[in-house]
Amino acid sequence: MAVTRSSLCLAAALWFSGCATLDTANEDAGSATVPATKPSAPTTVPLPPYRAPDPADSNAWRSLLDQAQQAATRGDYERALVLLERAQRIEPGAGVIYLEQARLHLIRGDLAQARSTAERGLLYCDNPDLCDALRDMLR
Amino acid sequence: MFRTSHILLKLCLTALIIGLGFLIYLDARITSTFIDKMWELPAKVYARPLELFVGARLEPDELAYELEVLGYRKVRHTGGPGQVARNRGRFEIYTRGFSFPREDEPARRILVDISAGRVAALNASGRGIDLMRLDPVRIGGIYPLHGEDRVLIRLEDVPDTFVAGLLATEDRGFYDHWGISPVGIARAAWSNMRSGKVVAGGSTITQQLVKNYYLTPERTLLRKGTEVVMAVLLDAHYEKDQILESYINEVYLGQDGKRAIHGFALASRHYFDTPIDQLDIHQQALLIGMIKGPSLYNPQRNPERATTRRNVVLAVMAEQGVITSAQAKQAQSRPLGLNTKTQIQGTFPAYLDLVRRQLRQEYRDEDLTTLGLSIYTPFDPILQRQIERSTTTVMDELDKSGELQSASVVTRFDSGEVAALVGGRKLRFAGFNRALDARRPAGSLLKPAVYLSALEQPTRYTLASVLADEPLKVAGPGGKVWEPRNYDREIHGDVLLYQALAHSYNLATARLGMDVGLDDVVQMMNRLGVQGYIPPVPALTLGAGEYSPMDMAAMYQTIAAGGFRIPLKSIREVVDAQGIALKRYPLEYDRTVSIQATNLLTYGLRSVVREGTGKGVYRYLPSDFDVAGKTGTTNDGRDSWFAGFAGDLLAVTWIGRDDNSETGLTGSSGALRVWAHFMAAASERPLGYRMPDGMQTAWIEDRSGYLTGKGCPHARLLPFIAGSEPRESTDCSPRPSGIRDWFQSLFGTDS
Repeated sequence: MAVTRSSLCLAAALWFSGCATLDTANEDAGSATVPATKPSAPTTVPLPPYRAPDPADSNAWRSLLDQAQQAATRGDYERALVLLERAQRIEPGAGVIYLEQARLHLIRGDLAQARSTAERGLLYCDNPDLCDALRDMLR
Repeated sequence: MFRTSHILLKLCLTALIIGLGFLIYLDARITSTFIDKMWELPAKVYARPLELFVGARLEPDELAYELEVLGYRKVRHTGGPGQVARNRGRFEIYTRGFSFPREDEPARRILVDISAGRVAALNASGRGIDLMRLDPVRIGGIYPLHGEDRVLIRLEDVPDTFVAGLLATEDRGFYDHWGISPVGIARAAWSNMRSGKVVAGGSTITQQLVKNYYLTPERTLLRKGTEVVMAVLLDAHYEKDQILESYINEVYLGQDGKRAIHGFALASRHYFDTPIDQLDIHQQALLIGMIKGPSLYNPQRNPERATTRRNVVLAVMAEQGVITSAQAKQAQSRPLGLNTKTQIQGTFPAYLDLVRRQLRQEYRDEDLTTLGLSIYTPFDPILQRQIERSTTTVMDELDKSGELQSASVVTRFDSGEVAALVGGRKLRFAGFNRALDARRPAGSLLKPAVYLSALEQPTRYTLASVLADEPLKVAGPGGKVWEPRNYDREIHGDVLLYQALAHSYNLATARLGMDVGLDDVVQMMNRLGVQGYIPPVPALTLGAGEYSPMDMAAMYQTIAAGGFRIPLKSIREVVDAQGIALKRYPLEYDRTVSIQATNLLTYGLRSVVREGTGKGVYRYLPSDFDVAGKTGTTNDGRDSWFAGFAGDLLAVTWIGRDDNSETGLTGSSGALRVWAHFMAAASERPLGYRMPDGMQTAWIEDRSGYLTGKGCPHARLLPFIAGSEPRESTDCSPRPSGIRDWFQSLFGTDS
C-alpha cells in the first residue's frame, strides 16, 4: 500500500507541476524567420493547450482521490475504484484519475484493463511526467 | 331407520374428513406464505444523485428543478428534512440524507450559492463542504403484473397515534379477539338485514388481511366462511403485532396510474410526500379514513368527501381517547395538505424500458418485482428535461400534426452512461420505444466506419488522400446494378478524403468503401460496437441496413471516446433490500480501434460541422464551441439523422415516420436542429483537442493534397499519423499569414 500511497502523491505532484509548466509553443514557432525554399517538413506538435480541469472543480475530485487512496491503503480496491469512477464523472479530463485507476487494475491483476485505462488516460494527460507515468503502464 | 342413520353417519364422516382436509390446506397455505408475502417488494429505480461542490456547473433553475422533482417543499426557513428556501441564486436546503451503497449521506441543512452558472459556495453549519450528493430522484419501479407497490415499515416506526387511531376506527378489539369478532359480525349482519343489502362488513383487521392476501373480493357465504376460518388460523399462528404490521404494509390505499398504492408508508409518501413518522394528526386520520374506500375517499379526486371522512375519523379518535377533543377540532380545521410535487415516477417510460431490458438479461422478472432491489442508474433528470424540451421545440416547428416522430439518445461518452432518452414525441407514453426499436437505414451516419477503415491503413490513406468523386456502377446478384448518386446530383471530381467526409459525398465514399473492402467496413462497425446483422453489400457504405438510434449511439460512443469501446450502460449498481450491493457495473475500456485513426476521423467530423453538411449546428452553438458530428439522410428523406459529440456529451437524434414514408427532411434540416438545440443548452464543455502519440501535423494544399508551406495558397494544417504525410509537395515557401483555419486555432494563437 505504501507503493500506492507514494504513487498517488507522485501523481498529484506531477499534476500540479504540469499545470504550472504547460508548454503552449506551436509547432513551427520562428519559422517566419527561416526563408525556406521548400515546403516546411512535417513537424511534431508539442502539447497543445488542452483544457485542463477547471481549478474551481478541483477540490471535489481531489477529495475523492484522497479517499480512494485511503481505501486502497486498506486493501479495499473495489471501494477505491468506485470512488475513482465518481471522481472521473466529476472531472473526466483529469489524467491522474486514469493513472490511479490503471494502477488499481494492475494491483488486482487485470492487466488488460490496466493497459486500456492507461492508454485512454494518455488522451487526457497534460504534462510530460504524467504522460510518461501512463506510458510506463503500457510497457 | 338404521340404514338411513348409517348413510347419514357416512356423510357426516365424509364431510368431516373433507372439512379437516380443507382446514389443513388453509393452515398450510397460511403458514407457508404469510412471512414471504411480507417481502414482495418491487424494484426501485433511481436517477443519478446530483453532485454538489464548489465549481460545479449548475444553474439556479436546474437546482430548483431537481429539488422540485425530489419533492422538497418550498418554505421561508427550513425546519426539517425535505425543505428548501430560495432567494434567487441562494438556496437553503434541509437535505433528506440517503443511504447510498457503501456510504451514508446525512440529512443536514446546507447553503448553496450559485453564481454565473456555477456553485460559488457550499456550506453546512458555517463550514465549507468539499463534496456532497442530494438524495437521488426515484424515477420508477419494476412492478409485478398486479402493479402493487409498497414501502415496508416496521410497527415500532409507526407513530403511536396512528396505530391507536387505526385500531379505534377499524378494530377496537384487535388485541382481544381470536381473529374474528362475533359481536362485530352480528352488528354488521343486523345492519345488512335492516337495510336489505350489504352495507357493513364487520371484518376485523385480521379478516381484512386474509381477504387481501388470499381471497378474491367477491361477496359469497363460502368466501366469508373461508375468511373467518383463515383469520382464526392466522391469529393462532402469529403474534398480534406481526399481523398488525402486515396489515399496515398490505392495505390498499389507491391507484397511481397502473401502480397500486399499498401500505401506509407508501401512501404517506404518495399523498403527502412525507415519511409516515412525520405526518400530522390530520394527515394520519385521512389515511386511516381511506381504508373504507380508497377510491371513494381519494383526496386528490374527491377532496370534499375525503375531508368529511377524515373528520369522522378524527372524531372517533377523540371519542376513543387517542387525541383530545381540542386536538381533533384543531385537526378538523386544517386543509388536507396534499403533496403538490411534480409527479416524476413513471414519467420517463423510454428510459425505464432501457433499464428493464438491461436488468432482464441478468435477473428473473420475479426477483425484480419481489426482492425490493434498488437500481441506481445514470439517468439525469436535468439532461432529460432539456432533450425533451429540444425535441418538443424543434418538432413543433417542423411538424404541427404530431405525426412526424423523433428519438434521441444522450450519453456521457467518458463513462458510456446513458443519461437521457427520448423514445417518441409522446414523451410520457409507454409505447413503441423508437430509441431502441425503430430500426432504420442510417444513411451517411455509417460513413465514418468507411473512413475509419481507410484511415487505419496510413500507408494507403490519410486525410489528404485524393478520392475520385466520380460515378460508379457495381454489379450485384441477379444482374442488378448499384449506381449511387450524390445528394446534390453533382459530380465533384477529385476531392481530399476529409472533404469527402465533410460534404458527405456519396460517390467518393462508395468508391473508398469498395476499395477498403466491405468485410473491413462490417468488421469496423462491429469493433465500434454495432451488434446484430450488418449487410455486406456495396450500399452499406452509404448506410444500408437497419439500425436503431441506440445502435448509432454505441458506434459514435466509441469514436467520441477516442477509439475505446465502452459498452453503453443504464445501470450503475444493483443493491438488495438490505442495502448490500449485489452487482456493480464498472467502467471498462476496450481499445478496439486505432487511437490515431480515430483522432483523424474526429478531425473529419469537426470538418463536417465547420465547413460541411453539419454547419447548421453553429446557428445554435457559439462559434468557438468545438463539436464534431455527422448528418445522415436516407432515400427520399425517409430518415433524418444527426450524431455528434462535444467535450462531455454524445447525442444521436433520429426523425422519421412510423410508416416509413417521406419526411421532406435531410439530416441537417431535421435531426441536426434537435441535436444542436440540445447541445447548446446542455453541454458544458467543448470538444478538447489533444494529439495522441505517434502523430504530427503538416501544411497541405487543400486542392492537390500536396505538402505546402504555411501561408501558401490553399494551405491548411492537417494531422497525420507519423510518417504518412504526403511525399509530393508544391513549390511554395512558407510565408507569414494572418489567415487561420479552425484547426489552427486549436493549437493556440501562434500557429
